[in-house]
Amino acid sequence: MPRYGIAIDTTKCIGCHSCRLACQNQNGLDFTETFNWIKDKERGKYPSFDKEYIPLQCNHCENAPCQRVCPTAATYTTPEGVVLVNKKTCVGCKYCMEACPYKMRIILHHQGIVVKCRFCIELVREGGTPACVTTCPTQVRIFGDLDDPNSEISRFIAESGAEPLRTDLGTLPKIYYKRS
Amino acid sequence: MPESAWGWLIVVYLFLAGSGSGAFLAAVYCDLLAPDWSKSLAKAGSLIAGPLVAIGTVCLVLDLEAGLWEPWRQVYLAKNLSSMIAWGVIILSGFIPIALLYAAALNEITFIGKIAKKYIRILEYVGSLLAVATATYTGVLIAVVNGVPFWNTPMMPVLFLASAISTGLAAAMIVAAIIDIDTIKTLSNFALGHVIFLAVEALVLMLLVFMSLTRSTEAAISANMLISGVLSPYFWVLVVILGIVIPFILSIVEYYEYGEMPKTLVIGSDLLVLMGGMSLRALIIFSATPPQIV
Repeated sequence: MPRYGIAIDTTKCIGCHSCRLACQNQNGLDFTETFNWIKDKERGKYPSFDKEYIPLQCNHCENAPCQRVCPTAATYTTPEGVVLVNKKTCVGCKYCMEACPYKMRIILHHQGIVVKCRFCIELVREGGTPACVTTCPTQVRIFGDLDDPNSEISRFIAESGAEPLRTDLGTLPKIYYKRS
Repeated sequence: MPESAWGWLIVVYLFLAGSGSGAFLAAVYCDLLAPDWSKSLAKAGSLIAGPLVAIGTVCLVLDLEAGLWEPWRQVYLAKNLSSMIAWGVIILSGFIPIALLYAAALNEITFIGKIAKKYIRILEYVGSLLAVATATYTGVLIAVVNGVPFWNTPMMPVLFLASAISTGLAAAMIVAAIIDIDTIKTLSNFALGHVIFLAVEALVLMLLVFMSLTRSTEAAISANMLISGVLSPYFWVLVVILGIVIPFILSIVEYYEYGEMPKTLVIGSDLLVLMGGMSLRALIIFSATPPQIV
C-alpha cells in the first residue's frame, strides 16, 4: 500500500492561487471556502529582500491530533495514509479545528460539518493526482508515494532536503517543503 | 486559515460546568462536615448544581452544528475514548442525574427525593467524585489541545478546578442568601473557603501566565495579550482586581467581622467572584494563539 504525500517547492510558487480554485472546483466549495491557502512571507532586509509564497494544506499527519481528539471517530486515516472526515458521523463540535496545530480545517456551516483537504482521494484511487497538483502552472507540487524510494517525490525530497513544517510538534506531517 | 473555532457558547459552558460542580462540592462539604447552621448553604448548593451543569451542557449542544440539526449523530459522541469530549459526555451523563437526585434527596422533593434520601451518602461520595471530574475535565479538554500552546499545560486543569470551587461556593452563597437572607451571618464562616481557593486560583494563574512567557513563542504571545496586549484591560480589571483581589480582601474582612459586614458587600463579593470566573474562561479561550507554522 502506498503512503501518499506532497512535496512543495516554494521557490517556484508565484502565488497565483490556481491550486485554491482547482481545489474549490474539485470539491464543490464556495469561493469563501477552501482547503488550501497561500501564505506570503517577506524575507531579508531592504535592499536585498524578496517574498516567499508558501502553499498550505492539510498535512495528513501520521500522528494526527485532529483524529485523536475527534469524539465520534469521524476523522480517520485510510490505508494510504490519507486523513479523511466521515460526513455522516461528524457532529460539528470543532474540537479538531482547535487541535490542529496547522489550522488547516474549516467548518461548512450550511452542512454543519468540519472538512479539509482530502488529497482528492477519488482521483488518486483511479490513478490520477490531486487537483492542486495537476493545475499548478509552475509545477510547485509533486504528489506521490513516500515509501517508494524511486518515486519522483522521494527523489525530490532526498535531493533537495525538503522538510515538513514544524517537525518539532511531533505530528509527522506528509507535506514536505523546499524553502530555499 | 480559521483562527479560532470556539466562542462564547463554549466559554459559558466551561463556566457553568465549573460553578455547578463547585456548588455541588460546597453542598456536600456543608452537609457532611459542617454543623447545622450551614444547612441553608447545603440546600442552596444542591439545588443549583444540577441545573447549572445542565444549562451548560445545553450550551455545549447548541455549539454543535450537524449534531444539533441531526441529533441522532450524538450517539457517536463517546466512540473515541482518546477524545476528552467523549470522556466529558460520560462524566456529564453521570453527574447531571446524580446532582439532580441529590437536590431532590437533600430537600426531600417529591417521593423520588424521599427514596433517594436513603442513599444520600452514596450520592454524596459518587457525586463529589464526578463533580471533581467535571471541573477538572473542562480544564483537561483544552489542556490536551496542541493546536494552542498556551492551553497545552497541566496547570490548566488545576486552575479550572480552583476556579470551579470558588465560583461554585459563590453561586451557592448567593442562592442561600436569596432563599433566606438571615443566613448571611452564618455564611461568614465560609468566607475562609473563598480566601483559600481564590489564593490557589491566583497562584496557579500567576504561574500559568509567567511560565507561558518562556514556554514557547506562541504561549508567550497569548500571555502577552493578557498582561500587556489587547486583552490586558479585561484581564487586569475583570479577572485580577474585580475577580480575585477585591473578593479576597472582602472575604478576609468578612471572616474576621463575622456577620457584621453589610449584606450588599457580602453578596457583591460573591457576584464579583462569579464575574471573575466567567471572564477568566473567556480570556483563556479568546487568547488562543496557534503555532507559527511558516
